Amino acid sequence: MKSLLKIPETLLVAALLVTTALTVHAQDPRIQMAHLDHLAAKASDTVDVNIDERLIQLAAKVFNDKDEDEAQIKKLVAGLKGIYVKSFEFENENEYSTADLDSIRTQLTQASWSRLVNVTSKKEGNVEVYVSMTGADINGLTVISAEPKELTVVNIVGPIDLQKLAKLEGTLGIPDLGVGPAKPKTKNEQ
Amino acid sequence: MKSCATKIAAVLLLSTLSGSVSPAASDDFNSIVKMIEQFYNVKHQGIPFLAKAGMKAVGVGAKIKGGEAKHLAEAGSIKIAMFEDQNFAGDVIKFRSSINTALQQSWTALVQTMSGVDHEQNYVFVREKGDKFSVLVISISPRDATVVQATLSPKNLALLMKDPEEGSRSITQEATIVDHD
Repeated sequence: MKSLLKIPETLLVAALLVTTALTVHAQDPRIQMAHLDHLAAKASDTVDVNIDERLIQLAAKVFNDKDEDEAQIKKLVAGLKGIYVKSFEFENENEYSTADLDSIRTQLTQASWSRLVNVTSKKEGNVEVYVSMTGADINGLTVISAEPKELTVVNIVGPIDLQKLAKLEGTLGIPDLGVGPAKPKTKNEQ
Repeated sequence: MKSCATKIAAVLLLSTLSGSVSPAASDDFNSIVKMIEQFYNVKHQGIPFLAKAGMKAVGVGAKIKGGEAKHLAEAGSIKIAMFEDQNFAGDVIKFRSSINTALQQSWTALVQTMSGVDHEQNYVFVREKGDKFSVLVISISPRDATVVQATLSPKNLALLMKDPEEGSRSITQEATIVDHD
């Protein structure tokens, strides 16, 4: 009897451990992008940026507070745990498939993620922005920019919003995604 | 007995020398050069002393994000292996995977770029080295390749991180431009 009681207890503990592990995994806003690596063989240009927590800590250490640019980047990356970018440019259209996009989107169907923006344009492609929340706090952001000849996925782990992302565009290997507020036109553009 | 003592002394001397000459950092540099040689069946060229002397780490500057031209690598810290006019055709994805596996323990991959049109590959890895930083830049094109390891000051690491693609290009240029003046 004693042994019979022991089994469910052990199972219960194991189940609890598995559930905890799954919950922790589900809340991890780092998404896996390795499924896209095969596209590098077809792409005319591939950029792969991995700035993990260690490098962000390094950045915080080395960016100079007296330099306006660096001080701003330092402030923006404070608390972040990772910046991951994969970008592919193709010579022709339709070089990536819906399955490629779905390998990313599937991960963003988990409870902590919700889609914030979905812009669809036949000519210019789609931009989807997802945020991951823990309670009321954002702990991750993913942008999928799928143009006919270009696919970019940006995954930022940590407290980040679109405004911050817009300010980081063009630095730390983050491409210009055009997710921020429209920049004022210069005299030449008017 | 005498020869035994000599052997022990020789072994001790060799182990001391190898310890001081081949720290972990240079092992990575050498193993990457070997890996390229084996993967692509190529051979790196030794740089003649005079050419080395003519190489000018102050020949070009890194102009990053509209800033002033700037030299990134610390003087005297550059290690370089060059492969010239050889064939670098091969499975890029497999090569990238091998490089990443070999370096993932001791280096952090900062940026990796590949061009299917020009068949160029660039890899930038970084790691802390006391109060400075080491950067390992591997550039491969269809006929040439370069492996550069250099030490960067924290300030220059910041420049590299701000614009990894341009920064890594500048480090390779700095290391490989020969000054003919």
